[in-house]
Amino acid sequence: MPSVTFEHVTKRFGDATVIEDFDLQVADGELLVLVGGSGSGKSTILRMLAGLETVTSGRIRIDDRDVTDLAPRDRDVAMVFQDYGLYPHMTVRDNLSLGLRLRKIPRHEIDRRVAWAAGMLGLEPLLDRKPKALSGGQRQRVAMGRAMVREPKVFLFDEPLSNLDAGLRAQMRIEIGSLQDRLKTTTVYVTHDQVEAMTLGDRIVVLADGRIQQIGRPIELYRTPVNRFVAGFIGTPAMNFIEGTLAADGGRMFFSAEAARLKMRAGTAESSEPITLGIRPEDLRMDFIPQQPTHGSADFDTLTGRVVLVERLGGTSHVHFQVGPHRLMASVASDSLPEVGHDITAHVPAARVHLFGGDGRAIGRTAEIV
Amino acid sequence: MKLLRRIALYAGLTVAAITFIYPFLWMASSTFKPPVEVGSLALIPHDFTLDNYRTMWARAPFGRALVNSTFVATTITLAVLVFGSMTAYAMARLNFRGRPALNAATIAVLMVPGQLTLIPLYTLIVQLGWVDTYAALIVPYLFNATAILMLRQFFLQIPQSLIDSARMDGMSEPRILFTIFWPLSKPVLSIVAIFTFMGAWNEVLWPLLVVREQNLMTLPQLLTVFALGGGAGSVGVSLASAMVLVVPVVAAYAFLQRNFIESMAGSGIKG
Amino acid sequence: MRAEQKTASLMAGPYAAFLLVFAVYPIAFALVLVFLQWDLVTAPTFAGADNIRLLVHDGRFWSAVANTFVFLSIHVPLQIITALALALALNRQLVGRSFWRAAFFLPVVISGAVVAILWSNLYATDVGLINHLLVKIGLSPVPWLTDPRTAMPAIAVMVTWKNVGFYVIIYLAGLQYIPRSCQEAIEIEGASAWQRFRYLTLPSLLPQTILVVTLSTINGFQLFIEPYVMTGGGPLRRTYSVVLYLYNNAFAYQKMGYAATIGVALALIIGIVVFAQRRLIGKAEAL
Repeated sequence: MPSVTFEHVTKRFGDATVIEDFDLQVADGELLVLVGGSGSGKSTILRMLAGLETVTSGRIRIDDRDVTDLAPRDRDVAMVFQDYGLYPHMTVRDNLSLGLRLRKIPRHEIDRRVAWAAGMLGLEPLLDRKPKALSGGQRQRVAMGRAMVREPKVFLFDEPLSNLDAGLRAQMRIEIGSLQDRLKTTTVYVTHDQVEAMTLGDRIVVLADGRIQQIGRPIELYRTPVNRFVAGFIGTPAMNFIEGTLAADGGRMFFSAEAARLKMRAGTAESSEPITLGIRPEDLRMDFIPQQPTHGSADFDTLTGRVVLVERLGGTSHVHFQVGPHRLMASVASDSLPEVGHDITAHVPAARVHLFGGDGRAIGRTAEIV
Repeated sequence: MKLLRRIALYAGLTVAAITFIYPFLWMASSTFKPPVEVGSLALIPHDFTLDNYRTMWARAPFGRALVNSTFVATTITLAVLVFGSMTAYAMARLNFRGRPALNAATIAVLMVPGQLTLIPLYTLIVQLGWVDTYAALIVPYLFNATAILMLRQFFLQIPQSLIDSARMDGMSEPRILFTIFWPLSKPVLSIVAIFTFMGAWNEVLWPLLVVREQNLMTLPQLLTVFALGGGAGSVGVSLASAMVLVVPVVAAYAFLQRNFIESMAGSGIKG
Repeated sequence: MRAEQKTASLMAGPYAAFLLVFAVYPIAFALVLVFLQWDLVTAPTFAGADNIRLLVHDGRFWSAVANTFVFLSIHVPLQIITALALALALNRQLVGRSFWRAAFFLPVVISGAVVAILWSNLYATDVGLINHLLVKIGLSPVPWLTDPRTAMPAIAVMVTWKNVGFYVIIYLAGLQYIPRSCQEAIEIEGASAWQRFRYLTLPSLLPQTILVVTLSTINGFQLFIEPYVMTGGGPLRRTYSVVLYLYNNAFAYQKMGYAATIGVALALIIGIVVFAQRRLIGKAEAL
């Protein structure tokens, strides 16, 4: 039985439709990540589930209980906010216990739960401090503790890490992941950061303009994005794109663009619409000496270009190069790197190529590589 | 040269401060002087007397006026704080139809000079049969547009996540206001409290219109009527009656001086 | 949304009702009263434009307006100069800064009725403190409140004294906003103290000056308790203020329609004067 169900949920603010006909099921114990840019509607979906925002039409269920019209307190959910939402005038202990006290939970039970959460999160020495006296990471833990003591059916996280610096963010990400592993509480997690989504999520929902673009396990989104938006959004560094066309030649399909001609995998369907070819930077392999002065090799599996920028990141480096009008980037090992201004050849493995039609949908999926 | 300028600065400030403080000291000391001494500049009475206070207390119900003023000003202040923050909370943090209209109306009301509504308000009080009642002194002041706008401004800056957390914790909206917003709004609440209390405590034109019964008069009104009606008879007595009004305010001012100054500056329009 | 709507209407509803009864209705009824004759005892009668006609030809009303302008012509400039001077003095490194500030602010918290009674005694011709001082330094006493030429200026000086602390706070706040870098820049340019004041401080304080002008003007039009207590409007009606005239029409003569007409006219005059002041200051700034 799914733990959380959205059925045809629509949300309008005045004339603006923010969420349209949204359907989603979250499995029991799952950590589901909603990821998208600003204005994608991800926070609105979370806030509707929390009861902090009303639903214009459609139903929301938690287990099999319809909670659409219930107040937040009656939904058995707990939420962790981006800026934590800790009561500044109360101690950590009071922040943790307030929600339980308001629910008239017996004193000894409150103490037990507070002690349990504080122990799990390492908050014992901080219980009598006020939020002002805590570091960002500690406040984050208190906010999580406050959600944990409620022992809710569903945890909601609204960009919980975006107020932390990079190092702390990575650390808290791991903590949240392992915590959820232990508690096995159904969790809906909203973020704009696709790295967070990829590392945390059992499944990821990619949102844009209030619509679901794709739902799947992280690796599925990475390997088989269903459209150009997801392809560009998931994965760092971002996928390279080249606009062009497909044409058959001697029984094989060729992708053609200015300064580029590439042979496609067998079985690629013919198409008359404009095509976008996508290739991830880590899928490009690089030769420093151009095999031919002209663009493309005899096998039509390479692109020839000139290096314009080399970013050294340590173990790997990003090589930016220009192929005709196209600016591409390859992610390569740092042990031997080309120099700026030199010509290089990049091998484009046909199996790793993604093709998108004029409407952005993936065509001739490379779905076999799993 | 530099030293000379500093000396001149302090000398100037001292003269200025004397012109602001000396009259009040003179007033206080005059109330303890017999009539023949009142014209003197000296601050220490030659023949110390409490006669002025005895006369003042005997001739007009100043004790009663003190009670009236305290009751009226306290009630108004509490109402402005409680009702005003409830209104401001709704206007700042809740969505409801009519919110933009209420906002606009509040600002518009502040732009209309009080003289325009003085007479219609007075006729309204007459028609309600409220002349010579506490209601006439209190009800028209139960809400204060300036206070509501100040509170609203402050409430707008409190993070949304606090409201959200409190709602998830199961609080009702009034509970959020009084247990989460109030503790965080102490500065603005004290500003509103002080300027409201001061305004109510010192108001004189409105009571002069709606109260004629001596036993219902507030201090500034009774003081004015007493001084003008010749009831005082002497300068010392009339100043002694003024002291009843001044002493509580100056005492409060001495304790809360900083808050007083900020509240008056913050209230802007009230002056 | 339904729940929120309900809560909101419970929390903001009373205020909306209050506004209707104690703000919207009186404003509307003021405009009705202009066309009525009403003594509050007998039923009101329709008076057409009588009140307006009366007002236009009412010498007492216009002399009260003229008195107010006399008051303003002394009060507003004096208020700006004194407040600015004290604020500039207080804006320096001072020993006991909060004491000085508190001293100047003291009269602001005191009731206008008290201040009026106190100053009646200070201004008194024979036993008043001020004349006492004048005699001491060899001058002859001045009948401050009984001479038609000095009565209104005397009241204007007193009101300036009472309110200056409030405007000092406004100017002090404005002085905090002048960026340090600007002050340092103009000092490096080699400007004299007067030049720094003329070209940096004064222009930077324009918003505060506009506020002081507006508030002290509105305050001046509300002049009531001072003449009521100190002069009763005399001598020769020279301190008769508009609000005092309005009050007497309502309270002494029971002419509600006419009193309301004065109120509406006064509101219009305030609006026009404040608007004109802003235009003038705006023009001066553009020069």
